[in-house]
Amino acid sequence: MRFFHLSLTCMLLFLSAHCFAQKAVVRGVVRGTTDGEILIGATVAVPALNLGTITNENGSYTLTLPAGEHEVHASYLGYASHTRQVRITDTEQQQRLNFSLEPTNTELREVQVETNTLRQKLNDTRMSVERLTAREAKLLPALFGEVDLVKVLQLKPGVQSGGEGTSGLYVRGGGPDQNLVLLDDAVIYNPSHLFGFFSVFNPDAVESVELYKGGFPAQYGGRLSSVMEVKLNDGNNQGVRANGGLGLIASRLTVDGPIIKDKLRFVVSGRRTYADIFTRQINRLSEGKEDYSPIPDYYFYDLNAKLTYKLGRNDELSLSGYYGRDFFGFNDDDFKFGFDWGNTMGTLRWRHKFNNSLYATSSVQTTRYQYSIKNEIDVFNLSLTSAVRDYTFKTDFDLFLKGGHSVKFGAMATHHHFTVGRLSFQASDSTLNLGAGTTYSGVEFGAYASDDYQVNARLSVNYGLRLSGFRSDTTYIAFEPRTAVKYNLNESTSVKASFASMKQYIHLVSNSGASLPTDVWYPSTAGVAPQRSQQVAAGFSKLFGRGRYLLTNEVYYKWMRNQLDFRDGANLFVNDSLQKEFLFGLGRSYGNEIYLEKIKGKTTGWVGYTLSWTYRKFDGSNDLDDINDGNWFPTRYDRRHDLSLVLLHQLNKRLSLTGSFVFSSGNPYSIPVARMAFQDVEGKGTSIVPIYEDRNSYRLSSYHRLDLSAVLKLRPKRGEADLTFSVYNAYNRRNPYFVYFDQVKDKERRDVVRFQAKQVSLFPIIPSVTYNFKF
Amino acid sequence: MNPKHLLYALLPLAALLYGCDLNKDIDVALPAHEPVLIVEGYLVPGEPYRIAVHESSGYFDPPTAPLVPDAKAYITHNGRRIELEYKPKLDEQANFIYTHSASEVMEGKPGDVYSLEVSDDKGRRITGITTILPAVPIDTIEWRFDEDDEEALLLTSFYDDGSTSNYYRYMTNRDSLNNGTEQDIKTSDNLTNGTRVSFGSTYFYDPGDTVIVTLYNMEKQYYDFLVSTSNAKDANGNPFAQPSKIRSSVQGGMGIFTNLAFDRKVVIIK
Repeated sequence: MRFFHLSLTCMLLFLSAHCFAQKAVVRGVVRGTTDGEILIGATVAVPALNLGTITNENGSYTLTLPAGEHEVHASYLGYASHTRQVRITDTEQQQRLNFSLEPTNTELREVQVETNTLRQKLNDTRMSVERLTAREAKLLPALFGEVDLVKVLQLKPGVQSGGEGTSGLYVRGGGPDQNLVLLDDAVIYNPSHLFGFFSVFNPDAVESVELYKGGFPAQYGGRLSSVMEVKLNDGNNQGVRANGGLGLIASRLTVDGPIIKDKLRFVVSGRRTYADIFTRQINRLSEGKEDYSPIPDYYFYDLNAKLTYKLGRNDELSLSGYYGRDFFGFNDDDFKFGFDWGNTMGTLRWRHKFNNSLYATSSVQTTRYQYSIKNEIDVFNLSLTSAVRDYTFKTDFDLFLKGGHSVKFGAMATHHHFTVGRLSFQASDSTLNLGAGTTYSGVEFGAYASDDYQVNARLSVNYGLRLSGFRSDTTYIAFEPRTAVKYNLNESTSVKASFASMKQYIHLVSNSGASLPTDVWYPSTAGVAPQRSQQVAAGFSKLFGRGRYLLTNEVYYKWMRNQLDFRDGANLFVNDSLQKEFLFGLGRSYGNEIYLEKIKGKTTGWVGYTLSWTYRKFDGSNDLDDINDGNWFPTRYDRRHDLSLVLLHQLNKRLSLTGSFVFSSGNPYSIPVARMAFQDVEGKGTSIVPIYEDRNSYRLSSYHRLDLSAVLKLRPKRGEADLTFSVYNAYNRRNPYFVYFDQVKDKERRDVVRFQAKQVSLFPIIPSVTYNFKF
Repeated sequence: MNPKHLLYALLPLAALLYGCDLNKDIDVALPAHEPVLIVEGYLVPGEPYRIAVHESSGYFDPPTAPLVPDAKAYITHNGRRIELEYKPKLDEQANFIYTHSASEVMEGKPGDVYSLEVSDDKGRRITGITTILPAVPIDTIEWRFDEDDEEALLLTSFYDDGSTSNYYRYMTNRDSLNNGTEQDIKTSDNLTNGTRVSFGSTYFYDPGDTVIVTLYNMEKQYYDFLVSTSNAKDANGNPFAQPSKIRSSVQGGMGIFTNLAFDRKVVIIK
């Protein structure tokens, strides 16, 4: 709190100092010329004054300029830059300056790594933010050729994957449950398919992703560690077009275009895997073979759709939806087993412009995640379901005030409904009828206000406060102060600092250390207090090499309370007293992230290095309530060193080559230290029982991998097409997935002769090819 | 869930993956382990007092369980202390090596309390208590053949006592108790208190199979021990499982001291 008071005092000083300046506010909107679409994240700058900003989600910007003549420069990746003159007089308070940028068709836009320019990053008040477009992600190598935006984010410093091939995000020591994942503003509770190997975001449907690792703006709340904001593609306004791809394990198709020219446009995108087609065929061919166990079906699919309707000059309505399911099952005459899970999301959003200074965005949303296991044999039916369903209303305002203030304020309320472990076990002959499960409800609410204040050409401050709360069988209310400061030391160097306090009112019940579909969400109650974190970060950004390179260094410290873990052997599946299995503890993580990027020229890319520590402490009142005797211990995703290197090279107009290399210290892992022989009762036989002591006391060997990719543009008669070749794990490194201790038996006598540690790897070298088309 | 099942989903690539050797031997340096006393003792009405005492081992130590010849073991009931003599012996029928035994037969009734004390010359001492439970009778065992009349599922039912918290272990063996279990289910009556409870199988019994069905009524401490050992075994080889410490029923060491109250029936599938 002391830090916050100090920051607030500084801000008030800046505010009062500003009253003496002679300045005018220049504001406007940046659009593309082809369909008039607003350009979010476009840079508007006055290079002579070393002043710049980026357009907000309405395409609007605000700059405060001193009296005089200025050249204002607007730029956006894939569009030609445009410069306009503006003259500010002493008496003038406001000026309007809109930009229309022409799209370019240069190959450069295909190989750019970031849509933001480096200078814009340098001058942005925000820190700890990663931005990525789907277009960039498509150029990078991908596991099985399946482009995954989340896996590209894992290549950024401070962001780690949960394990080999998984699309979970572990941000600055936070767990996968501590990420606020938003798809067009609505929460996605389980953002992965196939037990975490692929994210739910179809790259064809997505425009861009922003990931906040710290310095969270006040409009975000509800999770501790990160905010991942995924924006769906709006669709184009020129004509109906289709694009898609045929990959090794999945195919996708997207159609978008106008329904009513300049009024109503749509985008529909679908994706499905087809391994089940092959496995069914194998099962059919092997039918009747003795001892043949049929391979279960597995597939996933997802569908994204969005309608955008321009009501008039000042109003726009959009309707976004997502529906995705994974299915794993088995269907036989005698035995049926089905396990399906997935998210459903819908958002209706209304954007309204009151005047040039005030914009509002209001939305109603619903989102649901559920898993369901069904088992049927003879007359018996078993089903197990867990779900979380939200209804949300939120409204956000953007207000541009004189003197360089961009104010945001708004409020939200969400009604959560949780179904936890609903079990039904019945027999159709009425000989059996069992049931279990509990439901909970809660209302989460928040209100916030923040001001992005451009104090002068060098200094900008973003300060805000979020009031959040949760009501279930008790009520929790908290203030979450947020602030960020940026100061330009000179034209090429800026220093930044931020502080953010976060609360999390709903909790993921999972002891797997991975993101599994059976993980359930649980509300804060009188017995389960909200999780809390506070994070400070400081860093600098340095532009060099004639503006081609940006070096950023950030150091952070995060401390957390009421972190959740579970007793040894906790039953998290069907348990009406689930809360009794919870353990509450402390967390801390700290580290340093270095990031060097180059975005111009034929060769682009980045290098990220993170040095970090992540610990938890569970010190309960008795042995059953603590972990590792109440001492600090590293979490599963504590990695001391994490290095990623990404290079993209445009060889010629048709061929781009990319490569990425990752290295990280081995994950902490729990292994048994000893064993005991357990003879058990008659009829069972002797077994070896591993004796585990401290959690995560062993480190797996380090992880490193090189992926390569080549994108070859084809020359089809119509439209565009390319072939993307990817090689995952190019030098076939056997990276550790897990370790176990095996019994080595004598082949004849079948008795145990010794014990051997084994390391299991998941993916060897995997080449893949994907055909992408657009017409 | 078996992690290999995940790979099925990636067929036909799974074939490629299995073709590669993704398993390799590694050396793991474990911290030094100070052996602890392990006890395993089950009192059965009508059978002599017998227990097994040995030590835990470092994971990569030789596979034989180290015995503790200097361990002294006593079972106390109603103030009477019975010494169990160190006399290792293999019970071939039960496939169990007892290290300490007495010739006296246990004749406890439900509700009787027995305590155990084991100590050795190194000053290690284990204590434990067990309360004799009544067996819960199996009510019915039935089987149903699939549509082709080739394989049968088995359904065993019994009545749970609604006035007590019960913990059950349900085991089936095919043809002999020495062939390993077909099913081994451990459960509480949390969801079935006071009801008729059924355990079923899938269709895997063939006509002519002899099935030995055993239903144990367990103490909670025995249930906790079994669940924790099962979790610990599962964690060694399952990357998604949470490692579990063993919840012993004894103090001062590890292991289980309990009594076996069970009903056993034998049926022939036809």
